[in-house]
Amino acid sequence: MKAFKYIFGLFVLILGLIGLSIGYTPDAKLHLIACDVGQGDGILAIYKDTQILIDGGPGDNILECLSKYVPFWDRDLELVVLTHPQLDHYGGLVEVFKRYNVDTFLATGLDSGASSYQALKNAVGGNGARVVNPKEGMVLRIGMIYLDILAPTQTLLSLEAPDSQTNVLGAYSSKKDPNDFSIVTILRLGEFEALLTGDIGPSEIPEILTGGKVRDLEYIKVPHHGSKNGLTHELLEASSPEIAIISVGKNSYGHPNQEILDMLKDKRVRVLRTDEEGDIEIVSDGLSFWTD
Amino acid sequence: MKYLFWGALLTLVFVRYFSSKPTYLDGQRLRVEGVVRQEPSRFSYYQKISLAGLKIYLPKFPEIYYGDKIVVEGTVQKGKLESAVLVLKEDQKGLFSGFRKRVVGFFQRSLPEPHAALVAGISLGAKGSLPKDFWDNLTKTGTAHVVVASGMNVSLVASFLIGILVLFLNRKKALILALSGIWIYTLISGFEAPIIRAAVMGSIAFSAQELGRVYSAWRALVLTGLILLIIVPGWLTDLGFILTFVATASILVFQRKVEKFVSFVPQLLRGDFSTTLAAQIGVSPILFVTFGQFNILSPVINVLVLWTVPVITILGIVGGVAGLVIPVLGRAVLYLSYPLTTWFIAVVRLFG
Repeated sequence: MKAFKYIFGLFVLILGLIGLSIGYTPDAKLHLIACDVGQGDGILAIYKDTQILIDGGPGDNILECLSKYVPFWDRDLELVVLTHPQLDHYGGLVEVFKRYNVDTFLATGLDSGASSYQALKNAVGGNGARVVNPKEGMVLRIGMIYLDILAPTQTLLSLEAPDSQTNVLGAYSSKKDPNDFSIVTILRLGEFEALLTGDIGPSEIPEILTGGKVRDLEYIKVPHHGSKNGLTHELLEASSPEIAIISVGKNSYGHPNQEILDMLKDKRVRVLRTDEEGDIEIVSDGLSFWTD
Repeated sequence: MKYLFWGALLTLVFVRYFSSKPTYLDGQRLRVEGVVRQEPSRFSYYQKISLAGLKIYLPKFPEIYYGDKIVVEGTVQKGKLESAVLVLKEDQKGLFSGFRKRVVGFFQRSLPEPHAALVAGISLGAKGSLPKDFWDNLTKTGTAHVVVASGMNVSLVASFLIGILVLFLNRKKALILALSGIWIYTLISGFEAPIIRAAVMGSIAFSAQELGRVYSAWRALVLTGLILLIIVPGWLTDLGFILTFVATASILVFQRKVEKFVSFVPQLLRGDFSTTLAAQIGVSPILFVTFGQFNILSPVINVLVLWTVPVITILGIVGGVAGLVIPVLGRAVLYLSYPLTTWFIAVVRLFG
């Protein structure tokens, strides 16, 4: 008879589990979350049970962001993007690849000599994710979400990696700044378009703009944590965003730069910073968008 | 005669302790070689390792795990090894530490953070993967001891298991089964010193209690403690050793009394609650002083969360082991711990 109370306890736990699951009921909206990963980038896009992760920040903070917004039973990430191989963008991805099943890993073939990048390559290998090297003009569709690849541009790739292998990690190396190889994409659902820029800078931006895809967007992730070596007048003019996200933490580089902040202020763009707001969640139904 | 015996034993403990302490000179260049016997703490950019009585800070990669054999060079500076460089790292091929690593990996693939780290910490004492800010919350609330492989969990789980098993079996059989459970757990959790000594202390003390009187249980525990200290004198200042000893002693002395006292607690939780509360009586003053910041509310917070510890431990071990064979089954068991870890995390965040 006393044993009954332990069976009852089991039921209580199951009930609790069901109760907690209900909290995650998905809606048919895009949730675009700039995770507070400290000094680095980590952006999570969720539409129903589809998740896309763009960069993983320097450390393991990204895991907490994933737990907060992805239901606990969902261990599949449909797409992970690494904009370019620098620690403040991939550090947290090592653990992500160890813990989640990743369908596709979108990353440039640019190699990095850092030992931690080797750790990432091993983790990706162990995960079994399909590696795709992006280039300008590619369009990816994940569930209802589209990703238009604007960079690395054809020009850059034919100059820096003319005959390298494709769809592998670390296919080529370059003397150029890794930031210039950043993957730049437009993530869109219906009419809502978000420009995700990695650490792209003034030397590559003109080439990207000649593609003509950047016009009248809703959302921009300000390049390079608001560094002066990032956003330009031309890019801001062409994209004319309504909201600008700066993914930044405590740093010694002076990010975000005052000139960049002024530039955004002059254009009357609403600016949100992860070091001030924590995680920044934008919700869109494909027509309009709002902060949550 | 009796006093002479205890006195001689105590003297032997102290002699052994002071004659076996390693000493270092500041500024001394050292090459330290050894097997990592404590799970390294991982922070965003570095990891902290304790080896041969020294604190060593190394870059985050390559990651060093419990059981790895490492060689490190550096300069001694106030108990720390400054400008430490990792010369060599060998994964230990040992049956048990590899097993433990796989179980932790299964937790991490099955549960989100910090739930996975909490289950790993509570059930295996693997605190290495705890997110930094959650670790801060644990120390602030005085609950960090639950994720340290101190062996205190063993005392809680042993008592909890006996409590469940006597419902189905007679006392002797329940005791044997519970102790077998504890020793299997010792193997799974990596055959780590703190867990072994806790298992030794628990086995002897709880056997004495079930088979004899409280007084003989007490004596058995003290005797075991002293003998362990003669074998490994360094444990005298080992916090985990002290916690385990005090927790076991408190359970022996206070549990039955506390059980009557907490009659307001639903019967479902009363056994578990009284065990953890009894352990608390002895342990909380120590935690209060040692685990980071003073927190006036720490005893209250511990009362709120500690009852989940034996249950999370058992679900974690059963789920983790089952998961290596049949992942779906293991995951289902682990999910049962999710409401408990959610509660634990919510309480710790609220007060942290």
